[in-house]
Amino acid sequence: MNESCQRFAEDPEANAAHLRECEKCRALYGELPTHAINVEALPLAPWEGATYRSWPLVIGVALAVLAIALALCVAAGITPLVAMMIAAQTQISRAALVYEKLRTFGPLVYGFLFIIVNSILVLLLRRAPRGIDA
Amino acid sequence: MRKALLITLILAATVVTALVAAPLFRAPSSPVTFSQAASMMTTTAVGVSLLFVWIITSVVVTLMSGREVRYSSIEVRTSPLHCFALGLVAVTSFVLTAILFSYLIPFLVGIPLLVALGVFAVLTKVYGTIAVFHAIGTIVAGTRSRHAMLQRRWLRGDLAMVLVGVVLLGAIRLIPVLGLIVWSIASVFGIGTALATKFGRREPWFLLFRPAES
Repeated sequence: MNESCQRFAEDPEANAAHLRECEKCRALYGELPTHAINVEALPLAPWEGATYRSWPLVIGVALAVLAIALALCVAAGITPLVAMMIAAQTQISRAALVYEKLRTFGPLVYGFLFIIVNSILVLLLRRAPRGIDA
Repeated sequence: MRKALLITLILAATVVTALVAAPLFRAPSSPVTFSQAASMMTTTAVGVSLLFVWIITSVVVTLMSGREVRYSSIEVRTSPLHCFALGLVAVTSFVLTAILFSYLIPFLVGIPLLVALGVFAVLTKVYGTIAVFHAIGTIVAGTRSRHAMLQRRWLRGDLAMVLVGVVLLGAIRLIPVLGLIVWSIASVFGIGTALATKFGRREPWFLLFRPAES
């Protein structure tokens, strides 16, 4: 590789004439698109700007929601802690209700269903995630 | 165009919320008692308090593992059907496993197994729902170009997208009946994407066995 070949490799657009003169470079780069890529025209990658942390937005929204929650708790005559306990109790009682309704079938039925459902789960989990490759 | 769509969406959501909260066509003969009003107020207070807890949890999880949340969010947007199917099967599996473990309680081993299952299920649900918040935030408020992204002062980055998602879903959650359905569907999507991406790490759950070549 001589000096002009090196110059062409570094800046193909400015040294486009070299491709017509040099047989080696034509064989190497002839088939390749040598035009410059406009980065702005490329689609935005998911990670670009992702680490930016907008603290004013986070603090503002969190404080606004906290103020609304406190105002509603005062209006309802409960403390936020009691509100949390009510939420937890609702979830537990709902789960207990589902459990009581479902437990009537017996262990054999559940053993059979357990094997079938978990076999399907294993089959679905074997598929590789697409995500960034899609 | 996107801004107009966003405004239309917000207006539509507000109208739906208002109609559900105070229907226009309710018969005047159906009275709303004081106890019913107090109960509704308590439910709303509990809902908004939970929303605040969700905001704090989402911010902490996104700060701790932003890249993982982003990968799971991408997965739920690129293959939503797979995530939903996986989520449905996983929820069924959790319930069946819990019932089966409950038969082991008399043998003592059932209690630690149930606790372990409960912790895993809660972690999966919380992580997955945060990934769904990120996905919804990106769909609603995400940018398509670098120029638009750089012009924004606050509304960019993982943290902002998660926040938009949690506020939007949290507001929908306050609508009676519909909110519960939407939140449940979001949870199914979340559990599905959390398991599909192995909590954003994109590693296989099972190692393939390949016999050594001679």
